[in-house]
Amino acid sequence: MSILTSKPALILLGCVAAYLLPYGLNSYSMHVVDIAIIFALLAIGMGLVMGVAGQINLAQVAFFGVGAYTTAILTTHSGFGFWTAAIVGLAATVLVGLLVGLPALRMQSHYLGIVTLGLALGFVNWITNAEITGGADGISGIPVPPFFGIDLADEYLYYYLEIVVFGLALAFGTFVVRTRLGRRLRAMRDDALAAGAMGAEIPLLRMTAFMLASVYGGAAGILYAGLIRYVAPETFSLGNMFLLLAMVIIGGRRSLIGCVVGAVGLVLIREALVDFAVYAQLGYGIVVVLMVVFAPTGLAGIPRRVREAVGRRRKNDDVRSAELGPYLPGPAPAAQVPESGADSGPALEISHLTKRFGALTALDDVTLTVRQGEIRGIVGPNGSGKTTLFNVISGLYRPSAGQVSGVGRDISRARPYQLSLAGMARTFQNLRLFSQMTVRENILVVLDRSRTSTVWQYAVWPVGVLSNEHRLQAEADRVLKEYGLTAFADAHPQSLPYGIQRRIEIARAMAGRPSLLLLDEPAAGLNGEEVGQLSSIVRSIRDQGVTVVLIEHNMGLVMSLCERITVLAAGSVIAEGSPAEVAATPEVIEAYLGDSAPADIPVHAAPEVP
Amino acid sequence: MTTAAEPSAAGTGTDSLAVTDLTVHYGGVCAVRSVALSVAPGESMGIIGSNGAGKTSTLKALMGLVPRSSGRITLGDTDLSKVRARDMVRHGVGYVPEGRHVFPGLSVEKNLLLGAYCRSWKGETRDTLAHVYDLFPILRDFRGRAAGDLSGGQQQMLAIGRALMSRPRLLLLDEPSMGLSPKLIENVLDILVRLRSEGLGLLLVEQNAKLTFGVTSHCLVMENGSVAMSGTSEELAHDERVRQIYLGL
Amino acid sequence: MQVTLQTLVGGLSLGAIYALIAVGFSVVYRTMGLVNFAHADVAMIGAYAASTFYLTTHVSFVLAIIISIVVTGIIGLVIERVLRPLENKDFDLMLIGTIGFGTVLQAAATLIWGTTGRAMPSPISSGPLDIMGIRIRTYDLMVIAVTAACVVLLTLFLQRTKPGAAMQAVAMDHEAATAVGIHVGRSNALAFAIGAGIAALAGGLAGPMLYVDATLGSALGVKGFAAAMLGGFGSIPGAVVGGLAIGVLDSYAGDHFQGYSVLVTFLVFTVAIMIRPTGIFGERTVSRA
Repeated sequence: MSILTSKPALILLGCVAAYLLPYGLNSYSMHVVDIAIIFALLAIGMGLVMGVAGQINLAQVAFFGVGAYTTAILTTHSGFGFWTAAIVGLAATVLVGLLVGLPALRMQSHYLGIVTLGLALGFVNWITNAEITGGADGISGIPVPPFFGIDLADEYLYYYLEIVVFGLALAFGTFVVRTRLGRRLRAMRDDALAAGAMGAEIPLLRMTAFMLASVYGGAAGILYAGLIRYVAPETFSLGNMFLLLAMVIIGGRRSLIGCVVGAVGLVLIREALVDFAVYAQLGYGIVVVLMVVFAPTGLAGIPRRVREAVGRRRKNDDVRSAELGPYLPGPAPAAQVPESGADSGPALEISHLTKRFGALTALDDVTLTVRQGEIRGIVGPNGSGKTTLFNVISGLYRPSAGQVSGVGRDISRARPYQLSLAGMARTFQNLRLFSQMTVRENILVVLDRSRTSTVWQYAVWPVGVLSNEHRLQAEADRVLKEYGLTAFADAHPQSLPYGIQRRIEIARAMAGRPSLLLLDEPAAGLNGEEVGQLSSIVRSIRDQGVTVVLIEHNMGLVMSLCERITVLAAGSVIAEGSPAEVAATPEVIEAYLGDSAPADIPVHAAPEVP
Repeated sequence: MTTAAEPSAAGTGTDSLAVTDLTVHYGGVCAVRSVALSVAPGESMGIIGSNGAGKTSTLKALMGLVPRSSGRITLGDTDLSKVRARDMVRHGVGYVPEGRHVFPGLSVEKNLLLGAYCRSWKGETRDTLAHVYDLFPILRDFRGRAAGDLSGGQQQMLAIGRALMSRPRLLLLDEPSMGLSPKLIENVLDILVRLRSEGLGLLLVEQNAKLTFGVTSHCLVMENGSVAMSGTSEELAHDERVRQIYLGL
Repeated sequence: MQVTLQTLVGGLSLGAIYALIAVGFSVVYRTMGLVNFAHADVAMIGAYAASTFYLTTHVSFVLAIIISIVVTGIIGLVIERVLRPLENKDFDLMLIGTIGFGTVLQAAATLIWGTTGRAMPSPISSGPLDIMGIRIRTYDLMVIAVTAACVVLLTLFLQRTKPGAAMQAVAMDHEAATAVGIHVGRSNALAFAIGAGIAALAGGLAGPMLYVDATLGSALGVKGFAAAMLGGFGSIPGAVVGGLAIGVLDSYAGDHFQGYSVLVTFLVFTVAIMIRPTGIFGERTVSRA
């Protein structure tokens, strides 16, 4: 399925229907449809920021207002032409969008909801009281937008302007969602922490999400100003904000089409029930509550839920019956990878690293060095600080003291996305796959090594994005094949057995072509056969020139796989050496078995001590 | 509060725990497979095994904190198979969770009193409190302090003390050695030995095999959700397979 | 100087209402992690119920408020029951769900009490006090006193009683709370009823100060939430300090920026909360990524 050209027949049919629609409508219905399209635009923006990017934005209606009011003020007070005012209006909305988005850098979820709601309330307060906005009376007398001699005062003709803008906006939104920016936004929504560790620049992405929402809000505002040619505070009230929210939730916030359906549907219902407005409000409030509890993905999500329910009942579902393919080692080691242990520096060097959480010292003066091309095991009892060590190395935690250097530089204060782009990859102990994305998309997120700042391409040169997309898709096929995951490419990770999810995590980490791979308990929950496969995969990854550091409790795996082992206990390194050396160290036996006296337990003499 | 089954005095240990066919599924994954165990009166039992072997799940399922797919649990004459997690303590089962899980924002004393939630906070409970303070003098010194400000070892003592406040007949402990230094582990060991000598039944889940062997009379070794070995702690301490499972040799 | 003090006093009494909203909100949040955006609409229902009983059945103001507390407590229990599947799971969905409930409550209020709203007379007839040239309405003093009493009682309840301690234990660790024998569901329901009751108290007290109509909720709510956040989500002293701060900020903004007071209040609030997202007394981390 390629981008934008999917289901071309349906799209053509939609265009024809949209073209013919006005012929069957009286002038009042035409007006309602014109309004519905404006709300649909708003809802797409809302869907992008909330459903796709996962940012709670209760100020969308304020973006709508900024677009409409700027256009109104500039045309009536300053004598600007409609379209000049519109362009300024759009720019102003984007600016406001970025300002409203700023708090998202520091807070999420309900915190963000309260802040954005407060700012929206502030906006309504301002337009209701300011002189320039005409106060509660609003601004009337906005000129009819001139358009090559076409009379846009005619709502039938205005419809065609709207539908073209709407079509372009929907196409652009879909394009964003299905290409690399959208994947990163969705990855951020599913798991911001993992997305950061996979190379996504979270702050910039959050701002981008708000910018997208404001562009759609601003465009809707401008079209509203041109259609009604009168703006008043009531249109931008919180009541309408919640109506908009209801549209997006009922339609399905994760699907742009769902948002459009929700918007158009609710506008039509609102018009039909115009004499029973309060009952309508009561109704959509109840529907929102029911949706949230029983169908959180909205109308658009129902087909998939039905499919999954049916699939679960059928034993021989395609995906479930598919076998995990064998691991096919990738291409021979790239030339630039240094020979193991040669004159190049260490792959990872940690010196005197300490990490405290309040009064608790999780890591205490840890020093360790990992050579290039080594497989290093890190073991230790529960709570000994192994995962904390990984979190510091991969930039999730800042060290309290000490240095970490790797991927060619000092990384003590580097951010996760920087480390990812510089060649560090990791997996997570309890699997942090992007749950609402397919296996292929999970891989694609990491394959994309571009900086998030290159999003300007979307505005200026979408063709560049598209050609890059073909390259990424081809590479994704290669990675899926290499890790034997082709059969599961379009499945959602949660629907797959645990062992396969573990494999996906490794494939995803390796998709970024790292030079240093951190594996956090890769064998946890695997059966014997899967552990064997894992072992050969890790060896092969090392043979491609990648340095591997793994935390593991399965001592059989660690002993057979690792060249050197570091033992942590209570936050400190208590031993380091070859597997045989480590296993004979009294402190290790003490930490593991709780006993340092070999007499208690017959020591199984390490056979092949060099 | 309801006064269901006033627990008998701590440490009579006249009832045996019997568990048969205990199975737990998370999603599609079988975490605990048909585990059976019994703790005779006055005995103590250990469950050891590596991470992810299903030890914690076994204990949580016993407590009713995770849903059981199957399993029958009796303590003395009482069938606990259908008893809810919140009522287990009323039947004399005390629980010390993995990772301590004290109530961080409440004072040490409030934590201990909440351990006696099902009893009146006056009269006898005061005696139990004094007893717990005698066991852990450091808690008496810090009784006004927020539990979250205690060190890991002190929190562990608090968690054990809290469980004792209900005057249980049987104490379930999940990895009391986790994250503690060897010296503190020694400390915990001493306390458990003392509790055992007072006659309290113990079911101890541990990674630390020595601690477990030192406290218990019998042990199970779990691997991949099933019981791989069982026997007296004495035997297992000298068994080479235990060592293999642990050190992977 | 006198004008400034006058503003301060006015701000404190309104701030006391915001503080009550924030306290009720925080009790629910800290116990079960439920962000109840309908909380202020519950307060609005409380205000309507109190004024209805006060004006039509001529019961005493205190009794009217008690009846409205019972009514809203029941509404609170319904909200909690319906949204229970989402608790501690999906904050975003829960937030949207409570917004939906808010919409329902507003529509219900309009259906029951009409769209015109009502002004409620002050239950205290004595004139304003004059202290050093500052005029203080006796009703304002009463509001501040009732708020203070309510916060003290709530704190005593949480710190000195067994159900109060249990409620805090559930908030901190519901699994450990279960293991010591606490009925988590019952404790949560009690917390929700208390939260809704305090909302009704806030609404009832706000009645004579503000105009009672279906939009009273949004007016009180967003500022009450802002107060809770400024103080530190879930912290009772934080809610009080945050409420008073928002009230005073609001009052000064009203004096100096007239029509733009709400905008100024929320801009200042946004900047403050960006500097310190955990609020004044907040301990919990907000977002790690």
